Amino acid sequence: MNTPLNSSSVSKPPGLISRLGNFIDRTFQYWTIAPLVITLLLLMAYPSLQLLRMSVSEVDIVKGQAVWEFVGLKHLETARQDPVVPVALRNTLVFVIAVVIIETLLALTISILVSRSRHLVGLYRTVLLIPLLVPPIAIGTMWRLMYDYNYGFINQTLAVFGIAGPTWTADPKLAMPSIILVDLWHWTSFMFLIILAGLESLPQEVNEAARVDGASESQILRYITLPLLRPTLLTAVMLRTIFAFKVFDEIFLLTGGGPGTATEVISLYIYNVFSRQFRLGYASFLALGLAFIISIFVIFYRRVGQRAQE
Amino acid sequence: MNLHFVKKAQRGLFPILSLLIVLSFLLAACGPGATTETPAPTAAPTEAAAPTVPTEATAPPATEEPKPLPPITILINESPWLAGFEALANKYVEETGNQVTLNRTPFNGMLEKSRNAVQASESEFDILTLNEQWYMQFYADGLVTPIKEIDPNFVLDPQVIEYEWATRWDPELGYSSENGELYGLPINGNIMLFFYRKDLFEAQGLAAPQTWADVEAAAQKLKSADMSGYVVRANPPNWEFQAFLASYGGNVIKLDEQTGEWEVTFNSPEALEALNTWLKLGREYGPANYADNGQAEMIALMASGKVAQMVLVGAAAPDFDNPEKSTVIGKVAAVPVPGSAAGMNATMSGIWVMGIPHNLPDERKQAALAFLNWALSKDAQLFYAQSGAIPVRQDVYEEMANDPKMGWWMKAMADSTPFIHAQPRLAETPQIIEVLDRRLKQALISEITPEQALSEGAKEIYKILSDAGYKVKPLAE
Repeated sequence: MNTPLNSSSVSKPPGLISRLGNFIDRTFQYWTIAPLVITLLLLMAYPSLQLLRMSVSEVDIVKGQAVWEFVGLKHLETARQDPVVPVALRNTLVFVIAVVIIETLLALTISILVSRSRHLVGLYRTVLLIPLLVPPIAIGTMWRLMYDYNYGFINQTLAVFGIAGPTWTADPKLAMPSIILVDLWHWTSFMFLIILAGLESLPQEVNEAARVDGASESQILRYITLPLLRPTLLTAVMLRTIFAFKVFDEIFLLTGGGPGTATEVISLYIYNVFSRQFRLGYASFLALGLAFIISIFVIFYRRVGQRAQE
Repeated sequence: MNLHFVKKAQRGLFPILSLLIVLSFLLAACGPGATTETPAPTAAPTEAAAPTVPTEATAPPATEEPKPLPPITILINESPWLAGFEALANKYVEETGNQVTLNRTPFNGMLEKSRNAVQASESEFDILTLNEQWYMQFYADGLVTPIKEIDPNFVLDPQVIEYEWATRWDPELGYSSENGELYGLPINGNIMLFFYRKDLFEAQGLAAPQTWADVEAAAQKLKSADMSGYVVRANPPNWEFQAFLASYGGNVIKLDEQTGEWEVTFNSPEALEALNTWLKLGREYGPANYADNGQAEMIALMASGKVAQMVLVGAAAPDFDNPEKSTVIGKVAAVPVPGSAAGMNATMSGIWVMGIPHNLPDERKQAALAFLNWALSKDAQLFYAQSGAIPVRQDVYEEMANDPKMGWWMKAMADSTPFIHAQPRLAETPQIIEVLDRRLKQALISEITPEQALSEGAKEIYKILSDAGYKVKPLAE
């Protein structure tokens, strides 16, 4: 039954303070994160825009002042004619594909073994994490000394058995595998850490039910563990791909891109163009190009992840 | 209701306060980093601070004494000659009472620190130490002050070696030349010397090599399973190769000072002869890892008695006399780097110069120049050499040639002065050097032929010069 309204029961329009209060109530969650969002945007957007601007400019420092000249897509043409760029891209791709595949397989195997181990799990974890804790500069120096042809630990050890050690970093065929070996030593523990965390978070009930149904351990691994682990694996592989594209320290310290151009990678070349040749515009263009290539890989992994979820 | 209002006010206050904090950070970030009236750096006890000044020296001077100059800070690289430079700076402090602080920096950070200093409103350093491959950029862009702007009456002592005008810049030519203006003063006279095992040479009845043919003949005789006949510098290779190139009468680029036109000569027949000689010595008489040796590895090879001959920076000589590092004390001799024929010797300049940043007040510039003037005097340079550094005066080398301890290599330094050659000294030099290093390394590991290395390298250098706007003669096929 409808009750007719009289004038006294009609509520007055809310006052300004009340409306402001309501507005704050409704949007409170946004206000609380607004400072952080604004700060992050400013911190991220300004350098990115500056990089973008530099990539279409020639920048020179004259009398202490930066002199900017817009050059459009000139750096694209320079990159097309630069003989180092295709070599560096090819080496980078070889490096990324090799380390991501090998490290994922190694880390997965070790994680499964450690997760199934009943003894000394804490010790395994600690020991396997050590390479991740060592600063890259120390890793590069340590391996440089180990690989040394005359005085290195590896060749000295081989000599004890009467084997003449190879020139690890001076042979164009061995230089990249030598770098990859160092990277495996350094980064497998990172993959191990993520994959082990993923393995330990999987529900054990499913495995137990499968065992009750008579599934073997290899069937459990293939049909239960790996499919459930897929999101974790994808995240780990994506992160490792991003880091691998940016490899610098190990190559800088071990070979400097040599011998010849055998280990020249794109991030090392960007460093040389920027820091040694001081071509700020061209280096920015190459840096943007590298970011673009990494983005393609990230999008690819996201698509694969989405498809797996469907 | 009051409670409700208070709650609302509290909620409103939070974002406003947060915004205020963010804005205050932003304002702080946008504000001036340092006041332009920053006092001149003092000898504050930082880990990099080196020479300390006795308290007496900083005490107020007596009225009749001249007013002490402002303290100066020198950016200096951590290198084998740093100890000698520290001793020199300490002596200056002792003798003059002026304060000096050294900012010691590893080689890899030197260029970045120097660039940051000259881009600031006022440089934190009063003197920059600039490497052979950097100073032309600082000269060309006016980032260091011409010496005559600081002291119009300045005259460089003719005994100070200018290393094919590493000290000068001609803005019209865009190159270092004799007629250029004085921008930097040399402080470390690194050039190459030829080191060889005199004990092995004497045992085989060999004379000190004068030519590359002599070097090869000696390498053939002395090479064994434990001994390399010769070792080339592969990391980076450009510097050593340029000496070979100059000894065959070749250049990387050549300037016609009359027309101002450049010519790329890296693909000349002389360059091919030089490259073939360099490759042959490196591959046939070098160690198995001949493509992987830098300066440190070469010094280690000679000091441990594993190589008979090499071209190396003169500053390495004291290492061979150091009982903590060397097993060949008294067995190594030095002579000027050989040539393609007798008298065609060539050594490359790899010196360091000191420049005074453009962005300093006048009194700081005066103080910096006073130090440099003092440091280049004969007495100071003698002391500098005796302290283990590499002097830059010819008369000091000649006097030190009789020194019982260092005479063996100081004489070679003195004898090498007429054969000093310059690397390309353009603002684009770092780009050219990158090409040389890459192509020479490729040739060394047989990734490409010597002809390809020179021809492709020449094309790249031609493009670098053309793109930078230089007048360049067409490339010879």
